[in-house]
Amino acid sequence: MNPPGSLEALDPNVDEHLSTQILAPSVHSDNSQERIQARRLRIAARLEARRREALGEYLDGKKESEEDQSKSYKQKEESRLKLAKLLLCGTELVTNIQVAIDIREIHRRVEEEEIKRQRIEKLENEVKTSQDKFNEITSKWEEGKQKRIPQELWEMLNTQQLHCAGLLEDKNKLISELQQELKTKDDQYVKDLKKQSDDICLLLERMEEQVKNVMKTFREELYNIEKAFEVERQELLASNKKKWERALQAHNAKELEYLNNRMKKVEDYEKQLNRQRIWDCEEYNMIKIKLEQDVQILEQQLQQRKAIYQLNQEKLEYNLQVLKKRDEENTVIKSQQKRKINRLQDILNNLRSKYAKQIKQFQEENQSLTSDYKRLVMQFKELQKAMRHFALIDDAKFREIWLMNEEEAKDLIARAFDVDRIIHTHHLGLPWAAPDFWFLNNVGPISQQPQKSATQIVEEMLMRSEEEEAEEATSEPESYLDLPKQISEKTTKRILMLLCDESGFLIESKLLSLLLPLEQNECYLLRLDAIFSALGIESEDDLYKLVNFFLKYRAHRLSSSLQIKPCSQASVEKASMEETSTRSELELAEQTEMEGEKEESLVEGEKEEEEETPPSPWVIHPNDVLKILEAFVMGLKKPRDSRAPLRVQKNVRDNSKDSEYWQALTTVIPSSKQNLWDALYTALEKYQSTLNCKFLPLRCCGYPQNRAGPPKADVLGLA
Amino acid sequence: MQDTVTTSALLDPSHSSVSTQDKSSTGGHTSSTSPQLSKPSITPVPAKSRNPHPRANIRRMRRIIAEDPEWSLAIVPLLTELCIQHIIRNFQKNPILKQMLPEHQQKVLNHLSPDLPLAVTANLIDNENYWLRCCMHRWPVCHVAHHGGSWKRMFFERHLENLLKHFIPGTTDPAVILDLLPLCRNYVRRVHVDQFLPPVQLPAQLRPGDQSDSGSEGEMEEPTVDHYQLGDLVAGLSHLEELDLVYDVKDCGMNFEWNLFLFTYRDCLSLAAAIKACHTLKIFKLTRSKVDDDKARIIIRSLLHHPVLEELDLSQNLIGDRGARGAAKLLSHSRLRVLNLANNQVRAPGAQSLAHALAHNTNLISLNLRLNCIEDEGGQALAHALQTNKCLTTLHLGGNELSEPTATLLSQVLAINTTLTSINLSCNHIGLDGGKQLLEGMSDNKTLLEFDLRLSDVAQESEYLIGQALYANREAARQRALNPSHFMSTITANGPENSVG
Repeated sequence: MNPPGSLEALDPNVDEHLSTQILAPSVHSDNSQERIQARRLRIAARLEARRREALGEYLDGKKESEEDQSKSYKQKEESRLKLAKLLLCGTELVTNIQVAIDIREIHRRVEEEEIKRQRIEKLENEVKTSQDKFNEITSKWEEGKQKRIPQELWEMLNTQQLHCAGLLEDKNKLISELQQELKTKDDQYVKDLKKQSDDICLLLERMEEQVKNVMKTFREELYNIEKAFEVERQELLASNKKKWERALQAHNAKELEYLNNRMKKVEDYEKQLNRQRIWDCEEYNMIKIKLEQDVQILEQQLQQRKAIYQLNQEKLEYNLQVLKKRDEENTVIKSQQKRKINRLQDILNNLRSKYAKQIKQFQEENQSLTSDYKRLVMQFKELQKAMRHFALIDDAKFREIWLMNEEEAKDLIARAFDVDRIIHTHHLGLPWAAPDFWFLNNVGPISQQPQKSATQIVEEMLMRSEEEEAEEATSEPESYLDLPKQISEKTTKRILMLLCDESGFLIESKLLSLLLPLEQNECYLLRLDAIFSALGIESEDDLYKLVNFFLKYRAHRLSSSLQIKPCSQASVEKASMEETSTRSELELAEQTEMEGEKEESLVEGEKEEEEETPPSPWVIHPNDVLKILEAFVMGLKKPRDSRAPLRVQKNVRDNSKDSEYWQALTTVIPSSKQNLWDALYTALEKYQSTLNCKFLPLRCCGYPQNRAGPPKADVLGLA
Repeated sequence: MQDTVTTSALLDPSHSSVSTQDKSSTGGHTSSTSPQLSKPSITPVPAKSRNPHPRANIRRMRRIIAEDPEWSLAIVPLLTELCIQHIIRNFQKNPILKQMLPEHQQKVLNHLSPDLPLAVTANLIDNENYWLRCCMHRWPVCHVAHHGGSWKRMFFERHLENLLKHFIPGTTDPAVILDLLPLCRNYVRRVHVDQFLPPVQLPAQLRPGDQSDSGSEGEMEEPTVDHYQLGDLVAGLSHLEELDLVYDVKDCGMNFEWNLFLFTYRDCLSLAAAIKACHTLKIFKLTRSKVDDDKARIIIRSLLHHPVLEELDLSQNLIGDRGARGAAKLLSHSRLRVLNLANNQVRAPGAQSLAHALAHNTNLISLNLRLNCIEDEGGQALAHALQTNKCLTTLHLGGNELSEPTATLLSQVLAINTTLTSINLSCNHIGLDGGKQLLEGMSDNKTLLEFDLRLSDVAQESEYLIGQALYANREAARQRALNPSHFMSTITANGPENSVG
């Protein structure tokens, strides 16, 4: 049973309640309990109403059908409640007697107890008083024994007798009283018995009544329920019958309709059939005529065909004859061909054997050649090894010879300078300044300076910047051989700082924590070291490339925004920005160029630097740094790959400057000075001749000879 | 056709007899009634014995048979019938039952006399119908429902009861009962005796004294007034489950003597030994027998640790606090489910000890202390015990001089307890306030179905409201029983419905 059903079913019991309720709790009652109860009921009722509303929509449909169905259910429920109540009331009525008897018994017991208590009290009192009296009497007996006079004795006996009689009387009275009580109790007992039998009779009566009642009501309710069911069944039957009849009628009507329709259709079809038949007949006739005509034509054609066939037969017979002849010829040819084939087969076999032989031969040849080749390769490798070895030795030798020669030359130069100095100081009385040339400082063969690592450069730079800060103007970058021309140190530093600040993510967090206590510069250095290792920048060149890249990027940005820059540069930069392959080439070129230009930059670097105001790095937006870095790393990959062959080339020394160097060494004493010396020499010669002239007269004393000697020797030594 | 038949019949008599038989049977169809159909096949012997002579006649008489409406083969009694009659007649000497076909057995059983000696029938006949006839024959009113619906059991139980009721120790031969024992031991489950006659001396002297107007009162001081000793009987009954005894004498009329109603120590001791030995006993009742504390303790001691005892009824006796204490001990040392101490003399201490046992008991379902005098002290103790007890469902405290304090505690119990279904507090002095408190407690209770407060000075209003709450609980319980799955929903649906009314 679904909940709505049960709700329906419980409705009657509500009605029952209403009818039976005498003390419905009301909100205006004086009793607070009752008011609370009433309010609770009201709230519950409201909640229920709301719930029903919510459910109402889909309950409505059900309810209607249920109302019919629930008639019997209602009746059942009603009967059940009625019967339950009847039973309850009946049992209460019957048990009421028991309860009444119980309470009577309790009362009786209480009373009995009270009476018993009183009786015992009374008896005890009696015992006490009688004991007293008895004692009195016994004490008097003692007194009597002392009496001598009979009269007195008699008197005393009399009184004693009286006393005893009194005592006996008291006892008797008590006994009679008790007996009286017993009698009344007996009466009471009889009464009680009667009462009990009455009660039992009443009980029986009531039970019987109850049984009768219950039976009657049960029968009634059964009858009611049956009636309800019957009514419901009748209703159901009637409704079903109605429905059935309606359906039957509808069915009949439909049947009739269908019949009519069918009749009509049959007629229609008959008509159509007739029409069709006529039409078919006509058509049949037409086709028949047509077919007959066709037959005639076909017969004619057949005749024709037959004629053709005969002709053909004759032709074919002739052909057959011809073919037979041909066949014979063919057999002859065939035999000839067979013979030919046999011959050719022989030739083929011969050729095959020859071919096989040749293959063998060539294989052998090939083997020998490959072994030769291997041997040669081995030899070549050995040769290379030897070459390398010799190259090293040669280098060493070259160096030694160079050093020796240089030493010699330097000695000579030193002597020349010495002489020059002596000439200047002693003879000319002029102050002498030692000439300063780059090649004087050079020791060993001229070669590329070893490439510094990027970090070293940075360190240097930072150190330098530190010094700069300390003594701003004193030292100008005269020795910055390593920096490429366009880039000032400041720019580089700024760019590197920027990089350092922006790409902190490349540094490990551990390192960062370690760096905290360090000085700023050191901190930068270590950071940059980490960043470079992350980016894969190893050498100086890479570093400059990076800086260049930054600058170019910025320039490109400027050009793209302002469009004032010459288009050529812009195009180069664009190329460098976009096409990494071409750019790498460009950079290669740049690199080699830079190497070449290193010495020139000595002289020209400063000028050009000043000319080309370097693009300032603070124009580079910090946000762009990452993009630039990305592009740079992408670009850097390629040159790395093409590095290996480059290394080999580097080993080849260029000796273009050697002659220059040595030439320069020869011209350590410039021609002007030689002229001076020549002039001096002539002057000195003159001086000597004059001295000689003077000397002759003074030959006797030898000391001027000593004086003139040394300068001569000097001059001679120089020549 | 007939000619051919006759010739063949003449040629082969044995065969013809069969054919004519068939003929006659088919011919008889038209005239005779249906019972004849089966008879020829069953009774070939009498037919053959008679046939040789009237064979020709039969053929000739066929037409006459058809015309004679009174002719019937049923006139002839069948041999089986005769045999069955004979068996029935001689059943006492030669009981044959099991060897027969079931239908014949039925027939025999239907005609056996109910007066047959039990020695013959007891272990032979299991048919309920026979025992029904026996019972109906002996007793005009029979409640078979009181005997487990078995007529045989009822017959034996009542027979035994009858014997015990009229057994007079000393005069009646104990063999009367002991002889019955092997016959009824498998069928008796319940022994209900509501009178035990005292030994013969008294009645023997009473009966003459009856005529001589009670002149022999002086000689009645013999101490040997012991009743029948149940030990042997109880030990013999292997299926005994219920023992319902009343040591009482009925219909003594004017021969009343206090001695008649004595339940002596020896009686008590022998009874205790008997029930102790009986391990199948489930229900033991000893009512209206003047059992005092000492005897109650003897009996209860014998019941301690009894394996199956479920119900103990010692109502209408003289048990006081000591007996109650014994009962309390029994509660904690047995599986007792029902304890009835109604109409005794238990007072507050006894009730307290019972309450103490009840507090931790998990077996007891029903406790009846009607018409005692436990008063508020005992009532409060019981109420305290009920706060922890989770088993008791029925409690009868009618007529115990309880008043408001007990009601207060009980109302608290009502709010907590979820097992109690029935409480009876009738005939107490609960008073108006107590009634209100009980009503309060009732408002939180959803399990109590019966609560009797008649004649206990409770206001009519509260009694009515309690009745309403009980009604709601009963409806809820009914719903729960009808469809346990919708328990919650019906509760919620019910609450408002009821509260509207």
